[in-house]
Amino acid sequence: MENLVLKEEQRDCLQELVNVAMGQAGDSLARYLEVFVELSVPRVRIIQIDQLHLELNLLANHATSVSAVRQGFYDACDGNGMRGEAIVIFGDASFKELSELLAYDEPLTAASEEEMLLDITNVLNGACLSGIGEQIENELAFSPPSVIGRHIPPEAVVQKDKVDWDKALMVEINYKVENRSFQCGLLLLMPKDVICVVIDALDRLLEE
Amino acid sequence: MIDPKPSYELLQFVVQRVNVGVFVVDRQYTVCYWNNFMASHSLKSAFDVVGRNLFDTFPDLPVRWFKKKIDSVFVVKSYAFTTWEYRNYLFKFKHNRPITGGAEYMFQNLTLIPIKNESNGDVDQVMVLLRDSTDEACYASKLREAMAELEHLSQVDGLTGLYNRIHWEQRMAAEFARSRRYGTTFSLLMIDIDHFKKINDEFGHLAGDDVIRMVAKLIQNSSRKSDIAGRYGGEEFGILLCETGITGAVIFAERLRIRIADYALCLDRQGGEQHVTVSVGIARYQEGMRNHEQVLARSDEALYESKQNGRNRVTVCQEDRDECLLNTPKSL
Repeated sequence: MENLVLKEEQRDCLQELVNVAMGQAGDSLARYLEVFVELSVPRVRIIQIDQLHLELNLLANHATSVSAVRQGFYDACDGNGMRGEAIVIFGDASFKELSELLAYDEPLTAASEEEMLLDITNVLNGACLSGIGEQIENELAFSPPSVIGRHIPPEAVVQKDKVDWDKALMVEINYKVENRSFQCGLLLLMPKDVICVVIDALDRLLEE
Repeated sequence: MIDPKPSYELLQFVVQRVNVGVFVVDRQYTVCYWNNFMASHSLKSAFDVVGRNLFDTFPDLPVRWFKKKIDSVFVVKSYAFTTWEYRNYLFKFKHNRPITGGAEYMFQNLTLIPIKNESNGDVDQVMVLLRDSTDEACYASKLREAMAELEHLSQVDGLTGLYNRIHWEQRMAAEFARSRRYGTTFSLLMIDIDHFKKINDEFGHLAGDDVIRMVAKLIQNSSRKSDIAGRYGGEEFGILLCETGITGAVIFAERLRIRIADYALCLDRQGGEQHVTVSVGIARYQEGMRNHEQVLARSDEALYESKQNGRNRVTVCQEDRDECLLNTPKSL
């Protein structure tokens, strides 16, 4: 692994790419949820495993108890493209509002709350990642989302001793729904071997 | 060079015969494709289904919810999923365990994939993959049962079936916190079998176990649903009476004490009748207490007093004694 650093122009390019994807994502989310979704400017960087807990805490907005959902994404064609996992973190206060947004008729049970978390995670990821993939001509496929945990401390979202990576490419985005207290944070994480793939794709884009 | 592209016939075979349901709908939910798996399990062939509205053909589907799912694929242009864990099935399909059973209908996981128009990137159709997850669901349900059993075993005392000490104390700590938060109260009875060592020595440990089981059974029979009874130690029991003051606790304790004393046991081979008695100490949660151990300590002191004063009696701790509205002496 020679240069696992993002050069400034590469980072700007990726940031811009994510920005465009987010624009599209925000638009389709607004149509799907029928509310206006505010998105933060995405942060893009390569992180060490040691920094992950700090990032998770930042993403949780310093809440001590969160719910988290993960979803894998991979190259839809030949496995030579982007691959990674998206993690969405929800503050524990958000659920009633979510059910209104997603048109769940039945009263919320623990199970329907979880189903809702999966749905919203899938829509956020799908909207954002498809947009990124499209721009670097890399069609993506998705694995089903699954709940990591409910009402857990942010550090428990990823257990450091269970993972075997030391560096990853991270894209962080915060979502807020207009006029509501609902908010959540999305982390896209791609392991070391994928970083080179993304860097190559960025270089190709920069050359054009 | 070998052409890696399969022939149309091969593709047709693969998609038709793969043991996953595959079908395609357009924006109006008209079915455009229906593979063999779907035909075989829905008992409707492609001729019955293709070209018709999915929800007309299958009126049992959760229309609003499933439409929203399909729509999300058109709008977001990305995948959508449903899982049996939250919605066991969408289609009422027979499962493939007709003999071994364990399910009513086939448990299903669905993946909805956008089919993009090559020329403009629009999504005109959605492909739905339906996976049979019945086995997975059966394993999960077995696991849940095992977990529930383990949880129960970790909470009860093997000999008596009452809560064990750890769990009982946890429940008391929770009740203590609840009383403090909502300004309610609870009373605590500590119960000890009189002269238990003598029973063991005279009749053996198996007879001792019988006595403990008998007392536990009478405690259980006397308790209301909201009472929390546990085996505290060898021959010592604790009962938490929720939302109950001292007077109520004394009435409860006296009734239990008499029931135990009246119960005839046969402990020896000769078939003679024996009776055992218990001593009881009572205290209640008072505002300002710091933790549940304080209540425990007070009822322990009262229990000690019962023992000192000749056993087979009920004593209220000194701090709470004025609250008892009964005229009865401390022992009957």
